[in-house]
Amino acid sequence: MSAATAVLRRLRFSREVVLLGVLIALVVVMTLLDPLFLSPTTLLNTSRFFVEVGLMALGMTLIIITGGIDLSVGSNLGLVSVAVGFSYAAGLPLPLAILFGLVVGVAAGFFNSVFITFLDLHPLVVTLGTFALFQGLAYGLSNADAVSDFPAWFAYFGQAYLGPVPGQLILFVVAVAVVWVILSRTSFGRYVYAIGNNEEAARFSGVPIRRVKIALYSGTGLLVAMAAVIYTSRVYTARADTGLGLELGVISAVVLGGASIYGGSGTIGGTVLGVLIIATLQNGLILAGVPSTWQLFILGVLLLVAVFLNEFFRKSEE
Amino acid sequence: MSEARAPAERGGAGGVSLRRLLRRPEAPALVFLVVLVAAFTLANDRFLQVGNLESILASVAVLGVIALAVNQVILCGEIDISTGSMLGLCAVAAGAVATSAGGLLLPLLAGVAMGALAGAVNGFLVTVGRIPSIIVTLGMLYALRGVILLVTGGTWITGIPNETRVLGIGKVFGLGYPVIVLLLLFVVMELVSRHSTWGRNVFAVGGNRRAARFAGLPIDRVRFLAFVLVGVFVGIASVIYMGRAGSVQTNTGAGLELQVVAAVVIGGTSISGGRGSPLAALTGAVLIGVILNGLVLLGVPGIWQDAVLGGLILLAITTDVLRRRLVGDKA
Amino acid sequence: MTQPDETRAGGAATTEAATVFRLEDVTKRFGGVVAVEGVSFELRPGEVHALVGENGAGKSTLMKIVDGLYAPDEGTLWVGGEVVSFSSPRDAEAAGIAMIPQELDLFPELSVAENLFVGRKRPRTRWGGLDRDAMQEEARKRLDALGVSLDATSTVKRLSVANQQIVAIARALVGEARAVIMDEPTSSLTEREVRQLFGIIEDLTAGDVGVVYISHRLDEIFEISDRITVLRDGHHIKTAPASELDPEELVRLMVGRPLNELFTRSESSPGELALEVRGLTRGGEFEDVDLTLRRGEILGLAGLVGAGRTELAQSIFGIRPPDSGEILVDGEGARIRSPRAAMERGIFYVPEERRSQGLILPFSIKNNITLSILDRISRFGFVPRSERQTADRFAKELSIRGAKMSDPAGRLSGGNQQKVVVAKSLAREPNILLLDEPTRGIDVGAKSEIYRLMDDLAKEGKAILLISSELDEVLSMADRILVMREGRISGEFGREEATQENVMTAATGGRNPSNAEDPREEGSVDE
Repeated sequence: MSAATAVLRRLRFSREVVLLGVLIALVVVMTLLDPLFLSPTTLLNTSRFFVEVGLMALGMTLIIITGGIDLSVGSNLGLVSVAVGFSYAAGLPLPLAILFGLVVGVAAGFFNSVFITFLDLHPLVVTLGTFALFQGLAYGLSNADAVSDFPAWFAYFGQAYLGPVPGQLILFVVAVAVVWVILSRTSFGRYVYAIGNNEEAARFSGVPIRRVKIALYSGTGLLVAMAAVIYTSRVYTARADTGLGLELGVISAVVLGGASIYGGSGTIGGTVLGVLIIATLQNGLILAGVPSTWQLFILGVLLLVAVFLNEFFRKSEE
Repeated sequence: MSEARAPAERGGAGGVSLRRLLRRPEAPALVFLVVLVAAFTLANDRFLQVGNLESILASVAVLGVIALAVNQVILCGEIDISTGSMLGLCAVAAGAVATSAGGLLLPLLAGVAMGALAGAVNGFLVTVGRIPSIIVTLGMLYALRGVILLVTGGTWITGIPNETRVLGIGKVFGLGYPVIVLLLLFVVMELVSRHSTWGRNVFAVGGNRRAARFAGLPIDRVRFLAFVLVGVFVGIASVIYMGRAGSVQTNTGAGLELQVVAAVVIGGTSISGGRGSPLAALTGAVLIGVILNGLVLLGVPGIWQDAVLGGLILLAITTDVLRRRLVGDKA
Repeated sequence: MTQPDETRAGGAATTEAATVFRLEDVTKRFGGVVAVEGVSFELRPGEVHALVGENGAGKSTLMKIVDGLYAPDEGTLWVGGEVVSFSSPRDAEAAGIAMIPQELDLFPELSVAENLFVGRKRPRTRWGGLDRDAMQEEARKRLDALGVSLDATSTVKRLSVANQQIVAIARALVGEARAVIMDEPTSSLTEREVRQLFGIIEDLTAGDVGVVYISHRLDEIFEISDRITVLRDGHHIKTAPASELDPEELVRLMVGRPLNELFTRSESSPGELALEVRGLTRGGEFEDVDLTLRRGEILGLAGLVGAGRTELAQSIFGIRPPDSGEILVDGEGARIRSPRAAMERGIFYVPEERRSQGLILPFSIKNNITLSILDRISRFGFVPRSERQTADRFAKELSIRGAKMSDPAGRLSGGNQQKVVVAKSLAREPNILLLDEPTRGIDVGAKSEIYRLMDDLAKEGKAILLISSELDEVLSMADRILVMREGRISGEFGREEATQENVMTAATGGRNPSNAEDPREEGSVDE
């Protein structure tokens, strides 16, 4: 055990505590850079941004715990956005269009799971293919166009407030609670950890592996679809490239939160903290006037650092 | 001594039977390519003219050169999805040198050096950092794109001197330089893959990593070199690209990494490693070029390209699995 | 336990230089379990030295030490007269020791010639590249020297197992091996291929290469080996020239103590048919198996490693569905395509490999025990608080000691780990319990607790299939014994008539003609 881990152990610092500390430190730094950062309105406003990534990260957490991965979430987001916008533009009543979008999102996730479970293909390659397929379908079906003339109430999803709190933040909190309960209190959650730690032993114990994986990828599709509706409402536009590059942020958040990329470990709390840290970082940089060109770079570096530290500490614990 | 020995192998010693050819990993893609070319020729007999074929090859030259190198990474059991951003970055380096110093050699060296550096970072993080290559190259994909934006400040690089653009638009005996470079590098990779220790070790490391470790192969070094090779080839490709495009934009290369992986996989190299060849990468690149070309001929709008690409990837990996199940391959 | 018969390597004293390698008083432990203790073993040039013993006797551990995979905790390894310390198989290879494991560490996508040269100095052309023609020439020469004509350019994965094995041997020779260790070399070979292999072994020894032959097949051992060493429970029992031993004595040395009842099995009163299997076949694993199992009965399934017992049980449990045949549970035909389906029919399987198949090592004891019953105890998908008590109940039945329910299973001793696996199966409350080597690698105390448990379960009317390679375990616990050999049922004995000898004979297909099966006659077929 390295000295660093020994110290952490003795001080009973779990990973989540460390993350919380990083988050607090970040907030302090950001506030020093720009005093307006810590005002409630600003904080609550920034929370809008991270809800979309956060919802997707919830599903991605479970997928990564089972040792899988889903690179297609960003493209799926764009596809759902297009599905909602363009079916509405084609004449479908908006509530039905939204429902249609949700169905498309779930179907896309299910499509992924078919290749992964029935054909036993590696999630990496399958979702690389669907990453292209979904994005392509989104472009093609939308003709690289955009839909913007939604009725006023559509903004409710992405821009409303319930009292002082943004609407989607409440949704996010509910979603976090639901997924957290599923992962830590239900047999389904137990199955997820079992599959991630030892899929063979899980099979010998009668765990319904196929069913769990189908539910995971389809469920993530549903979360992606919800995020898509919220995002489309927030920017009031439905476009195909909505989700471009989002998968990076989602995976980074999950890994930063402590999930091992090899599977078997991870928590919802950790993921939420990861999402918060990334969102704070991004938003803080924007507010401080740091050019947006830095952001991608930092995000990429952050992912690498996060994974490296993850495995480094994990190795020294063994 | 004892009597009964192994019966002679069917097919005769060293025989190159049709059956054996068909078993090669590139076979399905090659057959498909021939069929497709035949179909297009039937539809439009100008398809088979040298000029048209040459232009198809030229259009996939950049893709093909990079695919030849990524092929090696996939063969040894890893993956690299950072090549699109790498191309942009190498083009920026080469372009900057070209606009200031001119010539061909210096920009080429700049591009190759930048690529080798990026590739080395990838290789280092995978071998020493022990981070899965998918994560490393995913992170680098975005990190490098950020570097491009940082360095260029969002502005394009224009005014590439003609002497630098030679590799992109020059011709020799009617054959464009892109095609020549592509075929040359293909020959080089075939030689390396068959006749060099590193080339054969790549197959071993990807085919049975456990056995490779027990046989004492330098697994880390093999993989590191593969990533650096990608960087070098991307550097060369960046000069070709720059020649053809005449400028370097901030989103140069965006989305290319996907086409590269698609080319390698569709051409017949197995995504799990250990099986494939440079011919597979070349075939895959040409196949993609032909298919995209064909889509244009058929009047399919270009925005459907990604969908077709994704569909092809899924088709390729599915048929690979089904083929293995039918044949009962243990490998 | 009776005193082991410790005869030193027979014959006149040998000088160090005249041995290929020698292990002296070697001990190796894994966690708290002793794999081998105080074992000495020596291989001379040009000899075929057989290494025999039951599963868990320590044979493969011992050879893995020689091959550089493990370092001994105590004792020394001498190679060619000098003390050596290997840190990897590469070192062993450099010292002239080659191992041919059952899984054949070859590269399936590479050609025969390339497989011979991977990791070694390869012939080069003027240009510095690899000289493939020279490699193929060299490969052909080596194969010819073995008297075998294989196409050096063919891809290894297309070869039959027998030919792949030859490639592995040729690879060892290219590495200038002085010792070749073969682990169960004939388990996938036909009669004809075995002949061929023996011819090759004779050629090897004529070249002063020493061969260690690890096998369960006694007839082969007596045919091919010069000396035989017997290990039992990690200890060296005896080493003697093959001419001085006979199969019956060998069995006795392997199995050890005279048959003391380890446990007194209660009088059994078998009830109705719980499980019936008719003509069950799965290509390459088992063929045409008929089996009946009644409630209240313990059916022992004996046989050698590779006989197909585990595959049969796993097929009944739905891990790998059979190609043909029927399974009937409680008289009704059952289509079992997954473990869940089997569990729904009241069948549960306790796997042979507890660490990789039976347990989720990072999970707590509690979570391991309840994993298979989560669907039963959950309310609306939620895991109830009573889970703790449920797990406690079953843990108590197995008297798991010295560990808390929240401890991760990975930290437990072998005995406790096995108890957790058994507790998990009990929690499911199956009617039909398939136990695969349930007492392997655990101490005597834990063993007898498991025997008592099995006895109780049978008295309660459960049907139990006991797969075990420990003869005395099978003989004392089983009401009836089925013996499998090479995928088929080769014998059936009632409790009274079963003896060590006739069970072993049925398992090895030895000299007893009435029980022996015909050896398969197919030729070596390449794809």
